Amino acid sequence: MFKKSIIAIMVFMFTIVSFSMAFASDGPDGNKRKGKYTYRKVYKACAASGEVKSTTPKMSPADKTMKQWKDIFENRKFDEFGCKGNWAELSDKDILDIYSYFYHHASDSPTPAKCQ
Amino acid sequence: MMKKGGDFLTRPFLKIGLETFEKPMETPMTPRYFLKCCLTVIAVTAFFCSFQAVFAASPENGEEALGRKLAKQAVKGSKRWSTIDHTKVEALNKDFTSGEEITKACLSCHSEAATQFHKTIHWTWLASGDKSDIRYGKAGYSVNNFCISGNAMEDKGCLKCHVSWNKKGVKGEVNCLKCHNSSGLNFIEAFGDIKAFSEDGDPETNDMVKDIQQEIKQAITEVTFPTRKNCGECHFKGGGGDGVKHGDLDTSLTKPNRMLDVHMGIDGKNFSCTRCHTTVDHHIAGRIYTNPAVETRKSLIEDDLAPKITCVSCHSSEPHKNDSKMNDHTDVVSCQACHIPKFARVNPTEMWWDWAKAGKMKDGKPYIEKGPFGKPVYKSIKGEFKWEKNVIPEYFWSNGSQTSTTADDIIDPAQIVKVSHPVGDKTDPEARIFPFKIHRGKQPYDKIHKKLLAPMLSGKRGFWTTFDMNDAIEYGNKTLGIPYSGEFDYVETTYAFPITHMVAPKENALNCTECHIRENSRLANITGLYMPGRDKSNLIDILGWLSVLGALAGVFFHGIGRFFTRNGKEN
Repeated sequence: MFKKSIIAIMVFMFTIVSFSMAFASDGPDGNKRKGKYTYRKVYKACAASGEVKSTTPKMSPADKTMKQWKDIFENRKFDEFGCKGNWAELSDKDILDIYSYFYHHASDSPTPAKCQ
Repeated sequence: MMKKGGDFLTRPFLKIGLETFEKPMETPMTPRYFLKCCLTVIAVTAFFCSFQAVFAASPENGEEALGRKLAKQAVKGSKRWSTIDHTKVEALNKDFTSGEEITKACLSCHSEAATQFHKTIHWTWLASGDKSDIRYGKAGYSVNNFCISGNAMEDKGCLKCHVSWNKKGVKGEVNCLKCHNSSGLNFIEAFGDIKAFSEDGDPETNDMVKDIQQEIKQAITEVTFPTRKNCGECHFKGGGGDGVKHGDLDTSLTKPNRMLDVHMGIDGKNFSCTRCHTTVDHHIAGRIYTNPAVETRKSLIEDDLAPKITCVSCHSSEPHKNDSKMNDHTDVVSCQACHIPKFARVNPTEMWWDWAKAGKMKDGKPYIEKGPFGKPVYKSIKGEFKWEKNVIPEYFWSNGSQTSTTADDIIDPAQIVKVSHPVGDKTDPEARIFPFKIHRGKQPYDKIHKKLLAPMLSGKRGFWTTFDMNDAIEYGNKTLGIPYSGEFDYVETTYAFPITHMVAPKENALNCTECHIRENSRLANITGLYMPGRDKSNLIDILGWLSVLGALAGVFFHGIGRFFTRNGKEN
């Protein structure tokens, strides 16, 4: 009985710790490098369709803080980016990649980034 | 009306005059008549002369100052032209996988470029051409009161501005594109991405790699003479950000108007940096640590191959109109002193950096606090800052050289240490009164050895990672080979930057009374010369007042004398 209890406690602890680790991640875990190029692609396609003049995206990760990007991406408020149609075509995986790029290069991140 | 006019002519006083002039020539000339004639001639001449002087001094009249005429001539037909189209060069038409490959392609035609460049300060970061002399230079013992030291190129954070690939410093290949490419593409990042995508085995990224290759191929052909953006990437952002270091160089000069800089203004002369900073064998003319930009002031008339680095090169040493009093100032006052009334006129510039306050945390984490102008006033990794805009320069005698206190010089911590300060005084024929930005701050010094210290900032053992200043100093000083006692404190320091860009239009140049005034003269601290208006000499004042009183007394007694003797009246 005692042995069973110990095993049960250990399994419970292991489950709790695994769950905590999964949720306590430092921001989104998409492919930020891929996200950067997917994001650029959106604007290239958008400029080709004539909706925007420049292929250079108007928003850069360094334009907002990590908290602000979290709010925008988790609530899917993409209006500020423009090119609505192109954003609608993106898969959830693509959006996660872009989110990772923006979050990890936000103005208050260790490596803020600007789009060229 | 005619009658009235006739009456006018017959008025007694005019009648006398007319009668006088209508006298026939054969009438014998009395002494009084002769005197009257002389006085009339003198009065008329003086009247016309004064008129001429007034119009000659007016800036509105058509005559152009010699300095402007010469400068216009010097920059006539300045358009660059080229005999090469880089899109047609075979060596550039391939898929590059690293920056070094690009350099190899450049050197396949420009065979001597790297050899030349390796000898320049932009590559060695040492002021002396002799590589064993490491006294002055970012890669040597030189320090400043910003990020303090380059730690012999061991601080990789600084190497972002070195003209090599991948922060390899002098051990790497020259990155020609840093100065000669106008595409704006971040080649280092692009190559890093290609490498990462190639290694991650994700088939989805193959298209991305192709896209990046295409971008590189296109960008690589955008070869140019260095643009303001190329130079500005490091020189506008020196010290760790826009406008941190120089007060007269920041990103506002990328596309300035002529109100900010008459030479660089896109609505003015639209000069690029290389218009004045001329180049020989990749050596770019400009001030280097202790060395002045040029040894002597020469106009292009004297020597048309002289570097076009000073105002005098184009504007001559008598730049104002011939009879202008301002030309008498040019052997004492630099052009910049009057023509750059303020610096940091668009973007703010940093004026104070206190390292003693670095290292504070909020909730156990480093933080940034922003202040006026949206600029940081506190950063845990760097300390406290103060920013200013429209700053009035401080003025010193300068012959173009600067004296530097290096990490190997003994200091007096009881005094404010001048890390960099202009050299010159009134007796030096090359010295002029020159405007400066004085950046003040506090930085670490060795309490036992009495020397300024060179903490390592970036990297695993750098202060920005460990927040352990003592360890950062120990590691940093080791890179320079300068012993550290293990005890440090902070000392107040100054660093002087000559102000020479942001030349305002002539109508915004300083008025005489900004300097020639008793209270709050801009040149209040300039010694070695007598400045009318600013200075007071009892002897000269007494002589002046005696002259005024003497003149008044003369007029008064002359009048009285004439009144009592009824001089001038006929019996």
